[in-house]
Amino acid sequence: MFSDKAKEEIQQVLKKYPNRRSGVMDVLRIAQRERGGHLVKEDMEEIARILGMQTVEVNASAAFYTMYNVEKPVGKYHIQVCRNISCLLLGAENLIKHMERELNIRVGETTPDKKFTLSTVECLGSCGTAPMMQINDDYYENLTAEKIDKILKDLK
Amino acid sequence: MSTVKINGKEVTVKDGTLILDAARDAGFEIPTFCYQADLMGVGSCRMCLVEIEGQKKLQPSCITPVLHGMSIHTETPTVMSARASMLEFLLANHALDCPVCDKGGECELQDMVYKYGPHKGRHAEPKFKFQEKDYVLSPVIIKNSNRCVQCMKCVRVCGEVVGANVLGALGRGDHQEETSFLRSFLDCDQDGNCIEVCPVGCFMRLPYRYKTRPWDLKGKDTVCPYCATGCRMVIEERDGIVIRAKAQLGVGLNSETLCARGRFGFDFINSPERLTKPLVKRFGTLEPASWEEALGVIKDNFIAAGKNIGGIASARLTDEELYLFQKLFRSMLGSPNIDSSARWAPEAVEGFIKATGMDEGGASAFDCMESDTVLITGTHLSDENPVTDYIVRRISAGRAMNLVIASPRAMKLDSSASQIVRHNAAAEGHLLDAVTLSVYGGNVDKLRDVPGINRIKDARQDDLAGKAGCSADDIKAIARKLTGEGSVGLFAGTEFLRYPGSIPGLALLKNALKALGKKVTIIPVLDRANQRGAWEMGVHPGFGPGYSPVKERGMGCADMLEAASSGELQALYVVQSDIVAMHPDENFVRGALSGLKFLVVQDCFMSETARLANVVLPASSFAEKDGILTNQEGRAQIIRKLLPPPVKAKRDIDIIRAVGETFDRSFGPKNPVLVLDEIRKEVGMYGEVSLAFNNKRNVDNKLDLKEALVKPAGLAEGLNASGLETKLEPKTDEHPFLLATGNHLFHSGRLSRKSPTLIGLLKNAIVEISAEDASALGLMNGDKVRIKGRYYEAYATLHTRSGSKGGVAFIAENYDDVPVNRFFRRGEGVPRVSITKA
Ligand code: SF4
Ligand code: SF4
Ligand code: SF4
Ligand code: FES
Ligand code: FES
Repeated sequence: MFSDKAKEEIQQVLKKYPNRRSGVMDVLRIAQRERGGHLVKEDMEEIARILGMQTVEVNASAAFYTMYNVEKPVGKYHIQVCRNISCLLLGAENLIKHMERELNIRVGETTPDKKFTLSTVECLGSCGTAPMMQINDDYYENLTAEKIDKILKDLK
Repeated sequence: MSTVKINGKEVTVKDGTLILDAARDAGFEIPTFCYQADLMGVGSCRMCLVEIEGQKKLQPSCITPVLHGMSIHTETPTVMSARASMLEFLLANHALDCPVCDKGGECELQDMVYKYGPHKGRHAEPKFKFQEKDYVLSPVIIKNSNRCVQCMKCVRVCGEVVGANVLGALGRGDHQEETSFLRSFLDCDQDGNCIEVCPVGCFMRLPYRYKTRPWDLKGKDTVCPYCATGCRMVIEERDGIVIRAKAQLGVGLNSETLCARGRFGFDFINSPERLTKPLVKRFGTLEPASWEEALGVIKDNFIAAGKNIGGIASARLTDEELYLFQKLFRSMLGSPNIDSSARWAPEAVEGFIKATGMDEGGASAFDCMESDTVLITGTHLSDENPVTDYIVRRISAGRAMNLVIASPRAMKLDSSASQIVRHNAAAEGHLLDAVTLSVYGGNVDKLRDVPGINRIKDARQDDLAGKAGCSADDIKAIARKLTGEGSVGLFAGTEFLRYPGSIPGLALLKNALKALGKKVTIIPVLDRANQRGAWEMGVHPGFGPGYSPVKERGMGCADMLEAASSGELQALYVVQSDIVAMHPDENFVRGALSGLKFLVVQDCFMSETARLANVVLPASSFAEKDGILTNQEGRAQIIRKLLPPPVKAKRDIDIIRAVGETFDRSFGPKNPVLVLDEIRKEVGMYGEVSLAFNNKRNVDNKLDLKEALVKPAGLAEGLNASGLETKLEPKTDEHPFLLATGNHLFHSGRLSRKSPTLIGLLKNAIVEISAEDASALGLMNGDKVRIKGRYYEAYATLHTRSGSKGGVAFIAENYDDVPVNRFFRRGEGVPRVSITKA
């Protein structure tokens, strides 16, 4: 069950759409934030009820995007490193390895203290500032190993 | 029209024709995965790419319409290499486990790679696997996603055709998996249409798993034996066991679709409970006997009964069998007492035939759906006739039209409707009267002379609407749609037969619309495969073959039972009809049958009725005979024999003839083909019915084989539709729910109870009420409840449906654990019941 605040927010965002179903992305985002970074079965069932959709349709919408973590809990900080072409050419591969070493986890894993989850994603549309990554809702751009060390230190 | 060149060949086709269709019609083959005629095009698999002169990139022919003057090439080296590349990509992750795949041998991917493929792949990376093991998705579906070609046909058929919408595509790219919500167990229609459309071995039949290779199967064309939609299918056997029923793309009105009953319900054929030898009652017990002995006993007793004899034949028999059955009674035994239904009153049948114009010949459901406004009434179409529901859903989505659904119970098809009307149970007549009155209000001059209009013209709209349980606005809205621009189509179902008082309302509305100059197409919606055939062959006390008048009116089922209890009727011959289970008021039936001197039951199973018989004859299923079934639209379609009847059982036509021959050696004709010849000669409507045109494959999208529709009868003045009324028990606080019945989505009569797979889908009785009624009673979906009427009480699982009209409890007629006919009492109205937590 969503909190009253979330319910209220959902009703607000739904006003933007002529058709409730179209609001599914926004509502999934709210639900994911409520759950602390991921989505579970019950969330999708409730969204389906609210929007008058089939559960599998909500599931399919969520599963299409890497930004939604379906039944996959993530740490407090979800680090999504771009590994598409521009970032890759500018060294994303090394940065990923660097972070794996620093956090002592592999891509796709979460640190034992549940603080960091490291994943790789496709182009985040910020090629001009490659290599880059996203942590929760924020972009970190023109990355270097040193910059990353600082960012991680600040978050720890 | 557009003229285009395909591989240099000039063809002229309708504007907007897809390149794919144009090319196929011109005789060029183009491979496809994601294209399917009755689904919306998605153009995702890129197998169908073609080259168009002047366009640099190849174009998907399945979603690209022709343009006048186009020059298209379907077999250039570029096209061929594109096909090979697409296949190479599809195989990049494909499991390639053909040796253990159920689809091996009839897999479209296998065929395509064989024909167009690169026979070597260059992908060296490890294959992506969705899962290690196949997973069970439902009692009839097992899934292996590692073989998927991502054509999305399963998802599309489930949403666009079935309307269940329980499948989706999870993930994307090569990680996209077509499956259920979080791969959970499916609580769906279980029709397996996802299996049928899947080109590879992803969606598979669970009951068929690892049973055979397709090339070891022998198949025959047939028609589904359950409802009267009349779906064409092929049943296949191996070593004498039928193991699969499948629909075929482009064949029959159903094309590739079937419902759960049709696709999985055939296995009653193999049941170990099948009757295999004649039984004769000796000192109170039925014991095996020879055919000679059984027929001898029948002859002696029939002679003793003289004219005090009657016959009831199932509406699942073939036209030939039914014709011979009525001939046996009318011309050999000299009795007019025959009927083909244990449920419907003869006058109701006659009224319904007249109201729906069945005597005016066949009418196609596709034509009905071409109407500008279609009204569906008196049927829970989604559950009773699922494939008719698919046709309505598919066509109504593709064109601008009004679709009005009037039903007390909510149904899946509601989501396609432009207007939904919830009326009181058993109030179809009041609803239609109210609509007609509203139509009359605006057209008094034109409708003054419509027969029957006097019955309602002075009624008060509020009264009628109140009795129907709907608002005056609803009524007005329907009337506006029906009288608006264009033609009208009506689907009218078995509720009219169940509540005969509604029939005059249907007839009047039809007449009024016709008087306004409307084209009205009516499709009767029936629940037994050959109910229409049974009537058209004259198995009815009030008319003969082709609805011809009869010299002497006979007794219908109810009257025969009455006469049996009073000792007037002495012998009864029942063929594949379970009267004890079907006739309202089981106790009355049992009492009546015990009053008979002689009861002979011919059936595939030891039915409740057969247990009471003096002689039981082992009969045949649809898989064991040749013949014709006439569906609800009046389409005469062929079934072909796949297997011999088990052990000493015989084809029904041979048994009926053998009974006749005990009186006169010349009774016949002697085989189904000759009987059909006689039908063609004697029954005008069937004059042009042919064995030839039925099994041909139609071109995609042209499923409406009009030649198969029967012709007008032209002599039905004798139909007696008087005295039609619906009796309901008065409503009391003690019994607040009116008891409605019909068929469950997974069952049809009692025959489906012998199918292990259908029993696996639903075994024990459920009672359905509206979600609102349930919450008012503090009951929840899935609760065990007690259903109590004045004469019977039973326990069942509660099923709630939101959006249904209150005050109705629905129990299907299919359950042996809760025989719904026990709630009924002869001579009293439709019962009311209470529902409480058990
Ligand atoms: S069986 Fe029918 S309803 Fe169920 S998933 Fe398959 S297509 Fe959909
Ligand atoms: S499961 Fe079958 S029908 Fe569905 S997308 Fe995959 S290959 Fe196509
Ligand atoms: S039961 Fe009716 S709808 Fe279902 S497959 Fe058979 S004929 Fe078709
Ligand atoms: S490739 Fe990394 S942001 Fe576009
Ligand atoms: S068949 Fe045309 S793209 Fe799939």
